[in-house]
Amino acid sequence: MFRSTKRRTAGRKNFESSIISSSTPNAYLANVYNNSKLTFYTLPPVGEITLDEFETWAIDRIKILNEIESCAARNKSYKEIESIVAPMIQQTLPLNSTNVEKLNRERQKDYYSHFILRLCFSRSQELRTKFLKNETTLFKIRYNQLTNAEQQQFVKSLNLPWDFISLEEKEQLSTKLFNSISASLGYVLQLDDVQKRKYFEQEEFIKIPFEYVTDLLPQRSIFLQRGTAYVPKFQQLQLLVNEFSAKLEAALISTSHAFPSLDEDDRILPILTHLSSGYSLNYSQDSYGANENSSDINAITVGSKEIVDQFPLCGQHAMYGLRTLHHLKYTARQQFTLFLKGIGLSLEDALTFWSGEFKSVSIDKFNKEYKYNIRHSYGLEGGRINYKPWDCRTILSKPRPQKGEYHGCPYRDLSSDSLARKLREMGLEEKDVQQILEISDKGDYTNACSRVLEVKTNGHVQEQVTHPNLYFDRMRQYTKSQQTEA
Amino acid sequence: MPTIASEMTTDNLESSSMASSPVNPNVSSRNRPPSSPLKQIPSDSLGPASDSLDSSNKKISADDMAFYYERLLPFRYVFQWLNHSPKPQKDFTMREFAYEHRSGAYQRYNSFESPEDFKSSVVRVNPTRFEVGAVYAVNPSERKTLPKSAMKPLEKELVFDIDLTDYDEIRTCCSKTQICTKCWKFITAATKVLDVALREDFGFEHMIWVFSGRRGAHCWVSDKRARSLDESKRRAIVEYLDILKNKGTKRLNLRRPLHPHIQRSLDILKPDFLTIIQEQDPWRDDEVAIQDLLSKIPNSSITDALKKEWTTKPHRSSLDKFQDISSMAQRLPKANDKKMVIEAEEDIILEVVYPRLDVEVSRQMIHLLKSPFCIHPGTGNVCVPFDANKEFNPMTSPNLRQIQGELLKYDEEHRGDDKKVANWDKTSLKPYTDLFTAFVKRLLASEVTGKRERDEQEPDLEF
Ligand code: SF4
Ligand SMILES: [Zn+2]
Repeated sequence: MFRSTKRRTAGRKNFESSIISSSTPNAYLANVYNNSKLTFYTLPPVGEITLDEFETWAIDRIKILNEIESCAARNKSYKEIESIVAPMIQQTLPLNSTNVEKLNRERQKDYYSHFILRLCFSRSQELRTKFLKNETTLFKIRYNQLTNAEQQQFVKSLNLPWDFISLEEKEQLSTKLFNSISASLGYVLQLDDVQKRKYFEQEEFIKIPFEYVTDLLPQRSIFLQRGTAYVPKFQQLQLLVNEFSAKLEAALISTSHAFPSLDEDDRILPILTHLSSGYSLNYSQDSYGANENSSDINAITVGSKEIVDQFPLCGQHAMYGLRTLHHLKYTARQQFTLFLKGIGLSLEDALTFWSGEFKSVSIDKFNKEYKYNIRHSYGLEGGRINYKPWDCRTILSKPRPQKGEYHGCPYRDLSSDSLARKLREMGLEEKDVQQILEISDKGDYTNACSRVLEVKTNGHVQEQVTHPNLYFDRMRQYTKSQQTEA
Repeated sequence: MPTIASEMTTDNLESSSMASSPVNPNVSSRNRPPSSPLKQIPSDSLGPASDSLDSSNKKISADDMAFYYERLLPFRYVFQWLNHSPKPQKDFTMREFAYEHRSGAYQRYNSFESPEDFKSSVVRVNPTRFEVGAVYAVNPSERKTLPKSAMKPLEKELVFDIDLTDYDEIRTCCSKTQICTKCWKFITAATKVLDVALREDFGFEHMIWVFSGRRGAHCWVSDKRARSLDESKRRAIVEYLDILKNKGTKRLNLRRPLHPHIQRSLDILKPDFLTIIQEQDPWRDDEVAIQDLLSKIPNSSITDALKKEWTTKPHRSSLDKFQDISSMAQRLPKANDKKMVIEAEEDIILEVVYPRLDVEVSRQMIHLLKSPFCIHPGTGNVCVPFDANKEFNPMTSPNLRQIQGELLKYDEEHRGDDKKVANWDKTSLKPYTDLFTAFVKRLLASEVTGKRERDEQEPDLEF
């Protein structure tokens, strides 16, 4: 689905050649939607989209999922959620155009956005659970928006291993079937005894392997015979929803296994990280950068003692490396450029700052070899992505710095002696230094960093540091508040 | 015996006294030790063997166990049962086994390459017992070099565990670790009900029931379909079967009409119930129990009358009392009142004799369970397989001392014979190994046909 073809897997190739009719993306989409208004998203998408589409489509879908999530968090009933979310779907994620071309666009957007978000949200159990829950609700809402005929059409398109039972079989099993569903006719459909009988007379039953309906087992609301479940038609939606969510859950898990191999794609990964953090389903952090503190950050001030003192140790360490070597290696440059961008250093100021610091490098060489990278980080070259500053997890996931390298997290990468010296230089008292060394020794690097932030703000900020820019923002806020008080 | 210390490291050796349970204690409603793979050694297995099941007063020694492992335990059949094929495959080689050592230490994550390796390792280590766990994607013994996520269980038999301790509030004949043929009837009733439900409702065919050696039974379901169930599906199945789940001290209060599974269970259990309350006689003189019984009858005219009647006739038996309720119900003028009392009686029957299940044992894929044909360390009884639909008497089932003697005696009497007879066939283990081999044979046959079908479906390759 990405522009590069090199990372198609063998499995993917097999799959592509197996669908002869899908030589074009539109034919492909027609195939996965199979004349129906909905899909289970079982096959990966093919065809190309632009990075721009990649991002905006994903964001449109996230907004809908976020709305579902926040409705659920406010304990809204399914009906209420439906009434709030259905108009949003119609606006940004419809699937019902009668114009073929338009319908293809709608399908494309729906299909891709689903798969992009799968990538974003497959990375932790927590994200997977949320995504699964919200996508399943989205599916349910969409299904309920369909007409009866469209629903039937969709069910047929799934080719699930189910059959409607014959009248004879129903006759034969009549007592058992009725006794199995009688209770749920009461509490799901609110029928009294006479109505139950009537309802049962006209109800159709679906036969399906019991594994598909295990969540109907605990209430014993279906009849089982030799591994086959007999499900009344009124439970059909439940059945579809189960199937949808079971398939998606399995797919998310296999996606999460595939994830490390995407790591080298420097165009995709930042977007994914951005989507799943900045726009994450739990709004954990907003994006950093261009914040209200930024106005006084420029090429001159960025290296001042006042500002550097507010950097987390990784930032201070990189600055130290830059000042001693007048140069930084690739990874540190990336990490530090983005961090500085995050604290509000504009591109122009960044270019001035970096070229000024690279004292041993001629302007000519700088322009040739380094300028591009900095502009790239600011999204002005290559994929034109507005890269986000790395969070601690990303920093900690990169290869550790070798001798002479200044990226990474000092709480992990420095020897105890150097770390202790750095901490003392930061003005920490001996007992704090020892405590922070201990925490780092245990491998709780971000905890060590959070503790430093706490000490540096005299206990005012007790936040978990998950991002160097978070550390900086909190330090700045604290410093400013102290200044206004004084 | 060679020392085992060399192959034990602190990492995979958990001392029973430090073992902690990862199981949520809220889930298990009944008071038995949490069913954790790191469970503590039940105290009864360490104390002096003193109950009625013991055929000897002496503790089972390490030599006895070594003798048994070397000469009597049918390793090959246990191997085939877990391997689903005569040649070693992943179902066996990637499977976890745990040892319970004589010291009480519990050692997880052992695995074996072949039936020979299996036997020689058990013989060498000479544990008090060994337990069977799940099949993993990687070799469990290599787990230290692998990330945690690699140790996800792929498959395991679906298991059930029924234990008489869960019936303590109703059984009067014995207490604690003791059992007799009377209270074993609870287990017999439970196995009948479960066995039929697993077959008729879920379509499973390859179940083996195993005496736990003291006061309970395990059921192992080996159908491919059961082995590949994930934990949420396992939980759903147990919950379907566990009709007593929400039962507190109040009446069960099942909705009518009864679900076919419950109706069938009731039909099976009715006769057993009558025998059991006749023998256990829980409502004879125990005022609290009698009160409790009456509180479940939703008709004050009946309960008032019965209270009076039973005071004038003290020591009236439980069976009589139960029948008093039925006959009074028959005489009620309104059909609906009658129906309600009869339904209450049905609920009581199920409350007393319906199987009491341990949900966690069945749900958890990583849970380990003692292998069939192990020796119960406290009683010396062999954990023999039995047929759920035939009489099984735990009081006369084979005991290590007894079969040791039988084997020695046979060899003595047949000295010089050329005929090759398997050792277990020389002892009273024979009918049980026969039952087990027949079961394993059927299982292996079904695997061959099943495999052909499964191979035709290629697994999905996901995005
Ligand atoms: S914990 Fe995060 S912010 Fe703190 S030094 Fe390490 S990488 Fe930087
Ligand atoms: Zn007894």
